[in-house]
Amino acid sequence: MNQLSPVKVGVVWERLNGLMDQVAETCVRTSFSAVVRENYDFAIGLLDARGRQIAQSRRSVPSFIGTMSRTLTAMLEKFPVDTLQPGDVLITNDGWLGTGHLNDITMIKPLFRDGRHLGYVGSIFHTVDIGGAPSPSAKDSYEEGLTIPVAKIVSEGAENPLLIDFIEANLREPEETLGDIRSQFAAYHRCSERLLRLLDEEDLDDLEAFSDDVLDRSEASLRRAIEAIPDGVYAGGLTADGFEHPLEIRCSLTVRGSEIVVDYAGTAEQIERPVNSPMTFTKAYSCYAIKCALDPGTPINDGTFRPIRVTAPEGSLVNPRRPAPVWGRHLSGHYMPPAIYGALSKVAPDKVIADCGSPLWNVYFKGRREGTGRPFVKMFFMNGGHGARPNQDGPGCLSFPSNVSNQAIEQFENQAPLLVEEKALVPDTGGAGRFRGGNAQRLTFRNVAQTPVVVTIRHERVDNPPRGLLGGEPGSGGLDLVNGEPIPSKSQTQIQPDDAVTFQTPGGGGMGPPGERDPEAIRADLTSGLVTPEHAKLHYGYDV
Amino acid sequence: MSTDTDSFRIGVDIGGTFTDVVMLDPATGRLANEKVLTTPDDPAEGVLNGVARILEAHSATPEAVQTIIHGTTLVANALIERKGVRTALVTTKGFRDVLEIGRELRYSIYDLFIDMPVPLVPRDLRFEIDERMTAGGQVLRAPEPDRVRRLAADLRAAAVEAVAIVFLHSFRNDANERLVKEILAEELPDMTICTSFEVMPQIGEYERTSTAVANAFVQPIFRGYVQRLVQELGRRGLPDDLYLMLADGGTVRHETAVQYPIRLVQSGPAGGAQAASVFGRLAAEQNLLCFDMGGTTAKACLIHDGEPLKTDSFEVARVFRFAKGSGLPLQVPVIDMIEIGAGGGSIAQVDKLGLVQVGPESASSKPGPACYGLGGARPTVTDADLVLGYLDAASFLGGDMALDKRAAEAAIRRDLAEPLGLSVVDAAWGIYETVNESMAQAATIHALESGRKVQDFVLIAIGGAGPVHATNLARRMGVRRVICPLGAGVASAFGFLASPTSFEFVRAAIEPLAELDPGRIETMVAELEREGLGLVKSAGVSPETAATSVSVLMRYSGQGYQVEVAVPREVLAAGDKDEIGRLFDARYRALFGRTERMAAEIMSWRVVVAGPKPVLEPQAALREGTALTGERPVFFGETGGFVDTPVYDRYRVRPDERIHGPAVFEERESTIIVPPDAAAEADPHGNLIIDLEA
Repeated sequence: MNQLSPVKVGVVWERLNGLMDQVAETCVRTSFSAVVRENYDFAIGLLDARGRQIAQSRRSVPSFIGTMSRTLTAMLEKFPVDTLQPGDVLITNDGWLGTGHLNDITMIKPLFRDGRHLGYVGSIFHTVDIGGAPSPSAKDSYEEGLTIPVAKIVSEGAENPLLIDFIEANLREPEETLGDIRSQFAAYHRCSERLLRLLDEEDLDDLEAFSDDVLDRSEASLRRAIEAIPDGVYAGGLTADGFEHPLEIRCSLTVRGSEIVVDYAGTAEQIERPVNSPMTFTKAYSCYAIKCALDPGTPINDGTFRPIRVTAPEGSLVNPRRPAPVWGRHLSGHYMPPAIYGALSKVAPDKVIADCGSPLWNVYFKGRREGTGRPFVKMFFMNGGHGARPNQDGPGCLSFPSNVSNQAIEQFENQAPLLVEEKALVPDTGGAGRFRGGNAQRLTFRNVAQTPVVVTIRHERVDNPPRGLLGGEPGSGGLDLVNGEPIPSKSQTQIQPDDAVTFQTPGGGGMGPPGERDPEAIRADLTSGLVTPEHAKLHYGYDV
Repeated sequence: MSTDTDSFRIGVDIGGTFTDVVMLDPATGRLANEKVLTTPDDPAEGVLNGVARILEAHSATPEAVQTIIHGTTLVANALIERKGVRTALVTTKGFRDVLEIGRELRYSIYDLFIDMPVPLVPRDLRFEIDERMTAGGQVLRAPEPDRVRRLAADLRAAAVEAVAIVFLHSFRNDANERLVKEILAEELPDMTICTSFEVMPQIGEYERTSTAVANAFVQPIFRGYVQRLVQELGRRGLPDDLYLMLADGGTVRHETAVQYPIRLVQSGPAGGAQAASVFGRLAAEQNLLCFDMGGTTAKACLIHDGEPLKTDSFEVARVFRFAKGSGLPLQVPVIDMIEIGAGGGSIAQVDKLGLVQVGPESASSKPGPACYGLGGARPTVTDADLVLGYLDAASFLGGDMALDKRAAEAAIRRDLAEPLGLSVVDAAWGIYETVNESMAQAATIHALESGRKVQDFVLIAIGGAGPVHATNLARRMGVRRVICPLGAGVASAFGFLASPTSFEFVRAAIEPLAELDPGRIETMVAELEREGLGLVKSAGVSPETAATSVSVLMRYSGQGYQVEVAVPREVLAAGDKDEIGRLFDARYRALFGRTERMAAEIMSWRVVVAGPKPVLEPQAALREGTALTGERPVFFGETGGFVDTPVYDRYRVRPDERIHGPAVFEERESTIIVPPDAAAEADPHGNLIIDLEA
């Protein structure tokens, strides 16, 4: 069987994507990790016998795009394919081979049919505890936790007891991490059974003809979209706040025919702070940005990314050498989409968005619970305003380029001795423009415990606010305050009982000249109060 | 139908195009039905017309009618079309933007241009009050009465008709909401006021606010409609004993229903699910996958042990079809019925990858599928069904509507066959397979999300397009048996008649199982039971026949998803915490195949007070004559081509006659397809039971 009919391909693809989602759903419902459950910080993937990824669970954060086949290649260097047996499972969390930091564990299991090697099922999931002492001041990745080198965690169905012991001995909460590892084994088993049945029912001997076809179709789809962009070299870049000094991110986009090369030459060198983004993470967010702008409607697989090449100087912030600290890799990696959109806006202004109020903001609260005195650590996520779009305003507080939801205040207050005094949109924070950037939000947390609470933050876009595009104005920069006084945006601060800490996320950038804004839209903003009369006068020349 | 009884029960379902009326004579078990056009400007008119028509057709007098049970899409439509009243929100200081900020999540991860749902209450009508409740339920600050009076003046000036009051942690302690409601009610006697603790006392400020606001937004309109209907029924000598169908499958008297219109949001589909459970019971099947495929969507719902599965959240008015997170969230008890795919009117085209794509765009009823000849030029699922021989051009809608097969072929040729280099038939088969496969995936995942395996269920097909796709869908999912009930086209209205009078309460109570005080829960349950009995009693149910069931939503500490565990009253009364733990473990193991050695915690309690389920035994009215009416070529995937297939009139199929596939059964609203290697048999109630492994 060589040629598959388009109907057959469509049906098998739907079934495989559905299978990935079914396995993902099982993982979510049995997981002990809040990040897996609530933020879908995990992915399930299917790879063919040649190690090419064919399908991936549809809902997951973008960090895992295209990483599984890269990790598999590294695994096969150590465990060649002809040595793999049914019942084996390979594992690693090496940031340079996987997704960029130790907290993501990738496991891959070879699949067989009647003794013949069929392909692989794999998964990546985020684990909060990976040992070590990750912190904003980590100087190298050794401080950030345990590296599990490429290893066989299950060999012909039997767990490797030494490896399990070793992981267990290095973690603070091994039940959670090992619980999630083992629940993946069950998921692989289920996936394998269903895949074999699917092949029987669809009368397919293996996955190869199908994967040739879908990879080609996905590739062709993106190529057609790239062809619509005029050839040329388009430069972009921006400045990240960094630590002691700002960090430059440079990006050039070379479009030639149906291919794009994204190059980060000129970007700052790697630093001894945990903001370096290993190449896999840089690539994932670069490909994600291009996919969103040019070909959003199709599923992803290894074919999708054939027309894209991503390069960056070794030793730079976006392609660091080992053992650079990488815990907060998103603080650089989340800048890839705006850098690319800045470049692309020159030729495809209708396909991109202005800067969003990201990299993602979060805060760790650490202290002791009232009454019991038990320690608690709580993480809280806060999104900034979304960048304006070419045809509409940016929504207030919407996650991009990651996709992480907030937590209900009523839930949060049950889990930590903090009282939230406001969670409100802030007027005038969205960048002015023909289309306005989304408003930022402000949250104030008051320490209602009798003991101090430690607040750890690492926030970007405080000194360098989200930029507007095509004449749009920037959104407002972020703010971090204790009792109304600014604190450094990357810091650890102890707040006393009754002290209040306030975070104001960055506002989204505007798009197009403010002078072109529809007066009706300005009036609507004045009515809602998202824009004040003073701001309307100053930025739009609008008199109330 | 005889008139010497005075106990006719009538079910009325207002749909987008038709208002369906079903009348049951409990004495004989005979069912009658009637379809009249929906009257969108005044839906009550359609209801009254339909009731008059069915009474006339069966020579029955209005006095012979005992009860009327009514379901409607009015509430959902008012939300979708934003046709509620001007509504304000009063909320905790610092939190008026919760309704607008939502969950901060993009519902579609590659789309940079997604629209987010616009809140029902604009920002300038969201007012704040300086009040605060702690997470533990202590009043940190009570609202200042004078400030509330000034707020009343602001609300008056804003010319709003309804106001929702939602304060943080009110699900734990409602004192502040209650206080503000009292003062506002005094100051603004004509205002519709909804508090979140009354509408749905559940944790989660965004979802609770959204629910309370939606309730306030539609309440004045719904109340007006119901009052008018009751009045008109009375004027015509019909009983003013009007019941409304709730989204969770219960029914309540109209006085209660108008307080919580949001609970009616899915009442039509809930009726369909209730009907499916009745049909299933008649066929001696307890575990069913109800598959309802109409013109624009296909829906699915699981029925387990004879009861439709329920959930306590729902999304209405989605900005983007099928996309979870793109609508307005509602915390209401609903039958867990989800959209799994396209309907008969959904349009097929070649997507960017060169593959067949069906929906979400729909030709609806106007201009309709190409074969309707009403101006639709794009190929739809119905067009494919016609080309494949599943529908017959001459006998559609009992022959009332001739279909144009050549138009269907032309549309499929132009939009699919030519671009893909396929024959028209192969392209039509591509549409059929594609739509069925995506439904199979969605239904399978839905079963998993409910912690069940779809293969353990029997598929029951309702809706006009349901029976046409049911057997192929079932085979794709590994389901072995399909039931096609009689009267699938008016299933919702029939389901209303099958629904017990009931009321459900949900109370959040978050605590570790180890710290549970069963005595406190028993007291709470007793209070809710009293309240519930009051409600069902007012509906004429004698308290002795009503039953209260209690269940608890639990999980292992550290997890994020709950499992519902039924708790017998004697376990509560005995204060047996360990037994609750054992029941939870057993349920968890049944769902996920394992248990954890971890502490369990409780999230909330669910209490349902219900009257007895009406016993329905509809009798099939068989027509005279032989069932076999002819033969026509029908395409089957199993044979890879057309097969001359016997055609039967389903109203003439006698029980115990086993008919082997391939076969086609024609009924007025639909066609049942029995593939090769399958066999069909009618039961005494008119259900057609198809075994796929014959």
